[in-house]
Amino acid sequence: MNAVAPHLLLLSVVLPFGALALALWPGGRFFYRYTLPWLPLPALCLGMLAPDSSLELPWLLNGGLWLVDDLRRTFLVVTALVWSVSGLFAVGYLKRVHQTRFCVFWTLTLAGNLGLIVAADIASFYSFFALMTFAGYGLVVHEGTVDANRAGRIYLAMAVAGEMAILAGLLMSAELADSARLSDLPGAIARSEQRDLIVLLLLAGFGVKAGLPLLHFWLPLAHPVAPTPASAVLSGAMIKAGLLGWMLTLPFGEVSMPVWGNALVLLGVLGALGGAALGLGQRRAKAVLAYSSISQMGLMVLMVGAALAEARQAGTLLAVVALYGLHHGLAKGSLFLSTALALPERRSGRWLLWGLIALPGLSLAGLPFTSGSAAKLAMKDVLAPPDYHFAMASWLPAFMSAGAVATMLLILRFLQVQNQGAARGDNVLCLWLGWAASLLASVLLFWVLPWPESVPDKRWLHEMLAGAWGLTWPMLLAIGSAAVVACLFRQR
Amino acid sequence: MASGALLPVFALMTSLLASLIIFTLPEDRGRVRTLVNIGAALIKLALVAVMIRGVAIGQEYLLAFDMLPGVEFVLRADALAMLFAGLSALLWLLTTIYAIGYLEASPNRSRFFGFFSLCVASTMGIALAGNLFTFFIFYEMLTLSTYPLVVHRGTPKALRAGRNYLIYTLTGGAVLLLGIVCLHGLVGDLRFQEGGHFAGAGPELRGALPWVFFLLVSGLGVKAALVPLHGWLPQAMVAPAPVSALLHAVAVVKAGAFGIVRVVFEVFGLESAQSMGLLSVLVVVASVTILYGSAMALYQVDLKRRLAFSTISQVSYIVLGLCLFGPVGAAGGLVHLVNQGIMKITLFFCAGNYAETLGAHRIDELDGAGKRMPGTSVAFTIAAFGMIGAPPLAGFITKWMLGIGALAEGMDWVVGVLILSSVLNAAYFLPILHRLWFRERTTPWPKEYRWGRLETSVWLFWPPLMTAVMTMAIGVFAAMPFSPLAWVILIVSREVAL
Repeated sequence: MNAVAPHLLLLSVVLPFGALALALWPGGRFFYRYTLPWLPLPALCLGMLAPDSSLELPWLLNGGLWLVDDLRRTFLVVTALVWSVSGLFAVGYLKRVHQTRFCVFWTLTLAGNLGLIVAADIASFYSFFALMTFAGYGLVVHEGTVDANRAGRIYLAMAVAGEMAILAGLLMSAELADSARLSDLPGAIARSEQRDLIVLLLLAGFGVKAGLPLLHFWLPLAHPVAPTPASAVLSGAMIKAGLLGWMLTLPFGEVSMPVWGNALVLLGVLGALGGAALGLGQRRAKAVLAYSSISQMGLMVLMVGAALAEARQAGTLLAVVALYGLHHGLAKGSLFLSTALALPERRSGRWLLWGLIALPGLSLAGLPFTSGSAAKLAMKDVLAPPDYHFAMASWLPAFMSAGAVATMLLILRFLQVQNQGAARGDNVLCLWLGWAASLLASVLLFWVLPWPESVPDKRWLHEMLAGAWGLTWPMLLAIGSAAVVACLFRQR
Repeated sequence: MASGALLPVFALMTSLLASLIIFTLPEDRGRVRTLVNIGAALIKLALVAVMIRGVAIGQEYLLAFDMLPGVEFVLRADALAMLFAGLSALLWLLTTIYAIGYLEASPNRSRFFGFFSLCVASTMGIALAGNLFTFFIFYEMLTLSTYPLVVHRGTPKALRAGRNYLIYTLTGGAVLLLGIVCLHGLVGDLRFQEGGHFAGAGPELRGALPWVFFLLVSGLGVKAALVPLHGWLPQAMVAPAPVSALLHAVAVVKAGAFGIVRVVFEVFGLESAQSMGLLSVLVVVASVTILYGSAMALYQVDLKRRLAFSTISQVSYIVLGLCLFGPVGAAGGLVHLVNQGIMKITLFFCAGNYAETLGAHRIDELDGAGKRMPGTSVAFTIAAFGMIGAPPLAGFITKWMLGIGALAEGMDWVVGVLILSSVLNAAYFLPILHRLWFRERTTPWPKEYRWGRLETSVWLFWPPLMTAVMTMAIGVFAAMPFSPLAWVILIVSREVAL
């Protein structure tokens, strides 16, 4: 595997670009959509199997370096999986009109998303990031409706602003570091006199993509209007690119920045609770899910804030954030795909399917023995207050519990809206396959993946049972309050 | 060394000769004309390639003789000359191919291609000129040979634009001449020299030199379209598309910018120009021009006019780079000489294709053009993103170098100018791209022509695609030897003596 890994690395990024050639002749265009599920597979192999390896590309930009390491493997797995199952779903979902255009933008966005994960030099990272951003526009406005165009405009305006903030931040830190490598940036930023400005620029720039509260306005507009498979990759995979951007550039572990930490924790809570509150008022399933993404990213922002505030804890925290991202990406991808499924006519079948659709949602809420429970337990483990000394630290457990209640409420809302809104009937085979694959990935994959070394051990059953009450009471509280509200409405 | 002296002359003569032959050809000898045109362009490209190889290993190509007592005529191929000569030779070939397709079956083609070749000969002379007088000769020759191209259509609008063009550029030329004469009076005839001449200039010179600098730069600034000397450029876009392409990418606008580079680097020298405080003024002018051009472009509804204002903005990146004092900034400015040329010529080729194939001149007539003309639209998209400065395209390399250069010299506000300009670029290019790819066509095209299997004529189809590929290649492969960036770093290392 050691010898193959660099080739696999190259193939992961080059394959999507190669697929663009299919758009050139009619036969290729006909065939194009069937390739979508396969394009991310080399990257998936890379993420699952490859050891740490790197690839020097001295002729690229100002000296390219691509690599895989622990962090990147986690991101590769979630990204490649979500793209692959959504691609499978898209085969069944796509209509004739503008199909080639959609496939081209899909492949370009995919190439950007995979490339930015493996890129370890500034120029190629930023290139892939920009490619993903701008090609993503094509996915957002694909339907061509008034809503889609409006969402696209806002998406693009905010994306350009974000790109510019990133450019300024990268320029400043690259000049200080006098290096073309991403790995040299955090240290240079930590030592800089302009540290706060650079951190602000990078936080805000990547924050647009990550749906950071107050920079999130495009997200609940754009994620729902895109075609369903595109919504899944937007919310499942691409949103994580902002998170990865933070992890690769901000001075984690170099210096403790309690002020930024406090601010981010507050923003995270605002996102987690505010996103949920707004989401409860939505009438379309995809809009509820988009707000749920903001809410979930809020929890991750909270952890990122803690990592910024406490340099010693940063390494462990970031590994947990990555795992949380993996769990959320897979679950959210599956949830988004399920919004386009028609429910069976028969009552029993409908309830069965509805239960399966609910499963990733319950996993988000932390149902024991799901990926969500594992992620949440790991999160609780590393966020224990004695290790932290910044102002917000003692509030962290309370914030997390509140976040869990909010998540469950939002999932209940989603299930309600989904049940009301979904069509009745049968689905095309590829829709079933794509959705089933996403469900399996969400429910099972977490347990078979190798656990990164820096994360506290998962103690399987024992831990799960001991933590079961901690995990379930927020869910029960949410269900209880939802039931009360439902009763009140019915009485009126 | 005989061959050393002759190569620059040959490079110059190929297009002069081609021009003479074409002038004498009867109008209906299209095949011969095409052969001469393309043959000359290929020969010149080969000659320039040979010289580039030579200059890279330190060979000197020099031809000098006295024209008047005390006034030399100097042709010299140095690294900087090769940057401009290489660009012009390459783009001439593509533009010739394009122009052949564009002017097919239109009248006065001999006149057009004759002046076209003459214009390229002037550009080559400007690149190879070894002192200000030689530079001036070719600079004026360029003015006179482009005028017939601008007014080629002969419409009242074209004639008006041409008159305006002449007034602006001839006045600029006169001011430039005045500056050259003043400088000659002060210090005699000066060859261009790496590092400049005034490193140890005494106080008696320091009083007069800023005025000379002002004269030279304002003379050159007319062609470089520095605000407020830019008025001719937006009007001149009435010219046929290949002319606009050449005007904006290599010939006229670049000649001005290149002249400023020569004056700052090789007459004054970067350090002395800075110590006299000359560059601090120029950097403000460049920044204002960058923002003004971008802001004006936003309001244009005609595609070529929008591109013209974009040129005003983009060419000033070159000047801005020089004014950042440091080697990195200078490299960023110089590399934009090539980058802007290739990107802008792509955009004008595409604009010409839309006009010739669909009859679409205004931006709001382009709805759905991506489906009808995918090749052209892909090229346009790539070049537009390049202009915005999106990585990994050519424009990004410029912007990155300029940004790093500015920060290294403590001029942080320049980063703000770059960012603001990028945002404006995005604001006037992205809506066009949206129209191309995401609007549905509901009405017929204003005036559609059909050309067999391809979306447009073969001659018009390939040049923009090739320059679009170059736009990607010079960004993606910036670290390769003989990439524009690598060449520019070679120039800067010779100029600033690192």
